[in-house]
Amino acid sequence: MYVVSRKDRIVATAYDEGLLWASLLLLGFGLVMVYSASIAMAEADKMTGHQSTYFLIRHALYLGIGGMAALAAFQVPTKVWQQGAPYLFLIGLALLVLVLIPGIGREVNGSRRWIPLVVATLQPSEFMKLFAAMYVADYTVRKAAYMSSFTKGFMPMLGVMLLVGGLLLREPDFGAFAVIASVAISILWLGGINVRIFIGLLAMLVVGFILLIWSSPYRLQRITGFMDPWADPFGKGYQLSHALIAFGRGEWLGVGLGASVEKLLYLPEAHTDFLLAVIAEELGFVGVLAVVLMFAWIIVRAFSIAKEAILNDRHFSALLAQGIGVWLGVQATINIGVNMGLLPTKGLTLPLLSFGGSGIVANCVALAVLMRVDWENRRIAKGMPI
Amino acid sequence: MARAQPIVLLPAWRRRTLLIALLACLTVLLGRAVYLQGMRTDFLQQKGDARYSRTLVLSAHRGMIIDRNGEALAISTPVESVWASPPDVTINTDKLKNLAQLLRIKPSELSKKLENSDREFVYLKRRMPPEEAARVMQLGIPGVFLQREYRRFYPAGDVAAHLIGFTGVDDKGQEGMELAYQDWLSGKAGSRRVIKDRQGHIIEDQEAVKVPQDGRDLSLSIDRNIQYLAYRELSRAVEQHKAKAGGIIVLDSRTGEVLALANQPAYNPNNPVNIAGRSRNRAIVDIFEPGSTLKPFTAAAVLEAGTYRADTMIDTGNGTLTIGRRTIHDAHPAGVIDVAHVIQKSSNVGAAKMALSLQPHTLWNMFNEVGFGESAHANFPGEAAGRLRPWQHWQPIEQATMSYGHGISLSLLQLARAYTIFANDGEIKPISLLKLKEPPIGQHVISSQTAQTVRGMLELVVQPGGTAPKAQVMGYRVAGKTGTAHKLVDGQYASNRYVASFIGMAPASNPRLIIAVMIDEPSDGQYYGGSVAGPVFSAVMGEALRKLAVPQDAPTNNIVIPPEDAQEVKEVV
Repeated sequence: MYVVSRKDRIVATAYDEGLLWASLLLLGFGLVMVYSASIAMAEADKMTGHQSTYFLIRHALYLGIGGMAALAAFQVPTKVWQQGAPYLFLIGLALLVLVLIPGIGREVNGSRRWIPLVVATLQPSEFMKLFAAMYVADYTVRKAAYMSSFTKGFMPMLGVMLLVGGLLLREPDFGAFAVIASVAISILWLGGINVRIFIGLLAMLVVGFILLIWSSPYRLQRITGFMDPWADPFGKGYQLSHALIAFGRGEWLGVGLGASVEKLLYLPEAHTDFLLAVIAEELGFVGVLAVVLMFAWIIVRAFSIAKEAILNDRHFSALLAQGIGVWLGVQATINIGVNMGLLPTKGLTLPLLSFGGSGIVANCVALAVLMRVDWENRRIAKGMPI
Repeated sequence: MARAQPIVLLPAWRRRTLLIALLACLTVLLGRAVYLQGMRTDFLQQKGDARYSRTLVLSAHRGMIIDRNGEALAISTPVESVWASPPDVTINTDKLKNLAQLLRIKPSELSKKLENSDREFVYLKRRMPPEEAARVMQLGIPGVFLQREYRRFYPAGDVAAHLIGFTGVDDKGQEGMELAYQDWLSGKAGSRRVIKDRQGHIIEDQEAVKVPQDGRDLSLSIDRNIQYLAYRELSRAVEQHKAKAGGIIVLDSRTGEVLALANQPAYNPNNPVNIAGRSRNRAIVDIFEPGSTLKPFTAAAVLEAGTYRADTMIDTGNGTLTIGRRTIHDAHPAGVIDVAHVIQKSSNVGAAKMALSLQPHTLWNMFNEVGFGESAHANFPGEAAGRLRPWQHWQPIEQATMSYGHGISLSLLQLARAYTIFANDGEIKPISLLKLKEPPIGQHVISSQTAQTVRGMLELVVQPGGTAPKAQVMGYRVAGKTGTAHKLVDGQYASNRYVASFIGMAPASNPRLIIAVMIDEPSDGQYYGGSVAGPVFSAVMGEALRKLAVPQDAPTNNIVIPPEDAQEVKEVV
C-alpha cells in the first residue's frame, strides 16, 4: 500500500506555490497601493508633468523588470551564487564607493544614495542587501570551523561589516546598514557563532548605534521626533504625526480604497517609506494585518526551506534562505515600526510594496533565489539532478 | 570523509529562536496597530481634523435698506478677498510682480506676507472688486485663493448717514438702522464643515451643509428726495450761520412716519474714518432745552383746563415777572395781549402767567402725554428720553419757565412728534422710521377744537408781527413756532450761545408735513429761530409739499414780507 504523506505531497510540486502566491499578492497589492498613494502627489508635482499615473506606470515597469530578473535569477544554481558571492560582494562595495563620488551619485534630500543611469536610477544599497546575505552565508560556511573563535571567526566579518557600514553611513543610509547588519548577525548566529561573542557583539552594536545617533544631529532630530511627534507636530514630528493620524482614521476596516486624506499631500513619502500608513488609512487594521501576515508567511517559508536544505547538508543554501527571510522580515518590521511610531524614521521602504525600482528588483531576485533553494531541495528529495 | 563540510553545525534551536524573535516583532507591530487603530482613534482623528478639517462660513447676503419708494439707501455688493496659504505657494519673481501689481501692493510687502510659512492663512488683499480678483486667479498661482465677502455701499453717502449708519468689516451694523435692525438685515450665515487637501481644495463635506439665510430688505419711511432736500437746506444754513451743528426732521403728520431726518456735521458712511463727533444722530440722541417752541403746549393746556380762553387778555406789563428771587423777561414789552399774541410775540411772561394758572400735575400731564421725558420709541439706538422732572418736586419758578421751554430737555424727534397733536386735531401719532402700510392709531391728548385753535395761533407766528415771517411758504398756509434758547453749559445758561429752532406744519388748513429745524450755536450774529431756522423750514416745506403734490391752500402770492423798516420781532429769555 502506498500512502502519500504530507511531505511527499509538498515534494510532489516542483516549487513552493505558497511562497510564490504570497510574493505575487504582495507585489500586486503594492502596485495598487502605490498608485492610490501617489495619485494626488503625482498630479500636483511639476516633476511628473502632472500625470496621475506617473508612479503607477513606473512601478509596473519595475515589476516587469523585477519579474524578468527573478526568472533569470531562478535559473542560476545556488552553487554558482556561492562561488560568485565574494565577487558580487566586491561589486556591491564598488557601487557603494561609486555612489559617494560627486558627479556619479545623485543627492536627494541630503542623501547620496542613487546612481543615475540613462533611463533609471540604481540604488546600490538595495542590491548590497542581497550580496551581503550571500557573502555572509558563504563566509560562515567557509569559516565554520572557527565559529567559536573571536579572532578567526568573528574579527574578519566585523572588519567587513565596519567597511560596509562606513560606506553606507557616508551616504547616509542608516536603514540599509541596520538591515545588512541584522542579516549578517543573524547568519553568524545561525552558523553557530560563540554565544558570548554574539552577546558582546549585540552590546557593542547597541552602544555603537547610540553613539552614532548622538554624534549626528540629524539622526538625533529623527529620534526626538519619533519619541513625541505631538511636541512639534509641524516640524520634526510632522511626518510621523500624519502617519499616526492615518492609522487612527483607518480604524478597523479603513476609509475605503482611494479615500485616504493623508495622501493628499499631507503625508510626505506616502508612496515609498510611508505606504503602510496609506494602507492603514484606506484598508484599516484588516489591511495592516494582511500585510503583516504575508510577511510572517514569507519568513516562515524561508525558514522551513532552510530547514529542508540543512537536512540535505546544503548549508550555504540554508543560510542564504534564512538570510533572505531575515532581510525581508527585518526591513518590513523596521518600516512598519517607523510608520507606527515605534522606531525612529529611517528611510527604509516596505519590501515588495513600496515604490522604488532598485528595491523591487532586488526583492524579486531575492525571492527567486529563495525559490531556487526550495526548487533544488525538491529535486534532491526526488533524486533528480540539480 | 569530506574536508570541511561535516563541521558546519546549524543548530535547530538557534533557527527556532531567531524565527520566534522575528515573528514576535511582527506580533508587537500588530499589537501597536490594534492600539492605534482600535483605541487611539478619537485622539488621532481629532488631530487629523485639526489639520485638514475646516469650517467654511457661507456669508448670507445682507438685506438692502431702501427708502419708502424702493430707492436704495444701503446695498451689499459682492467683493472678493484674496488670501494665501504660504507653505503651498510656488511663485517666481515675474509672477510675484504681476500679483503685486494686481493687488496694488508693493512686491516686497507681498513677498513678506508669503514668507509667513508657519501660517496657513494670510490675507493678501481684502475686498477687491470681483473682476480684479478674477484676474488674480488667472495667474494660476497655487496656494492663492479667494473668499467671497460683501461690501456695504451707501448710495446716498453723507445725506442719510446718521439715520442709516454703517457696518463694520465683519458686516455687522455699527450705527443707526444698520445696528438697530442688525438681525433682520443680516440673515443667518450658513456653514460647511469640510475636509481640505493640503492645497486647499475641498474634498468632502463632513456634515450636512447649513445653507445661509439671506437677510431681508428694510423699507424705511424716508423719502430719498425729501431727505436730499432737507440735508441740502440744513447744510446750507449751518454753513451760512457758522453753526456748530444742526438737525432737521420731516414728519408725515398723518402717520408719524419720518420722511427725512438729517444732521450736521455729517460723514461719509462709505468710508467711516475719523468720524468721532460727526457720527451722532443728534436729532434723535441729543437733548436740548427747546425754548419757546413749548409755548403752544402751555397754551393748549390752559385752553383744555379752561383757565384761559383764546380771547382771554393777559397783562404782560413791562415784560418782566418776578417769582421769588428770579425775574422772567420778554424781549419786547407787549402790554395786555390775548393768548394768540402770547404765541405770536412769544411772550415769556404771558406763557408763565398761563402756566401758573394750572395745577402742576395738569401741566405735567400735558407734557407727559405728548411724550416728553420718555423716548419716542422709534427703535433707534441710543434714543434720548429727555428730562421732565416729576411735578411733585416742581417749584413755582420751574413751572413758570417750563411753560416757555426752560428747565426741560428733549430731543428734536420728541419735539416734532409732540407737534402732531396740533396737526391731527389733538391726536398724537407714534413715530416710525419704517414705512407703514396704514396710518397707526394715535392717542387723543387734546380736543380737536383746542388743537385747531392753537394751530390758528401758530399761523400768526409767520405773519408780519410774528417771530418767523421768513418761514412762510409760497402757496401754502404755515403754522409754526420759533424757539431761541440760551444753551446750557455746565448747568449755567451761556449768555452768547444759542439754539435756534423752528417747528411748523403745512398746509395749515389740513396739515400734511411737520418740519422741525434746530441750529446749534449759530455764530454769524443772527441767532433767532425765526431768521436762522425759519428759512430752512420754508425752503424744505415748500419743495417737499410740491414734490408730494399736496394741494395748495393759499394763493401763490400769499407771502407777506414785513416792511423793510419793521423791527425784527425778537424772542429771548
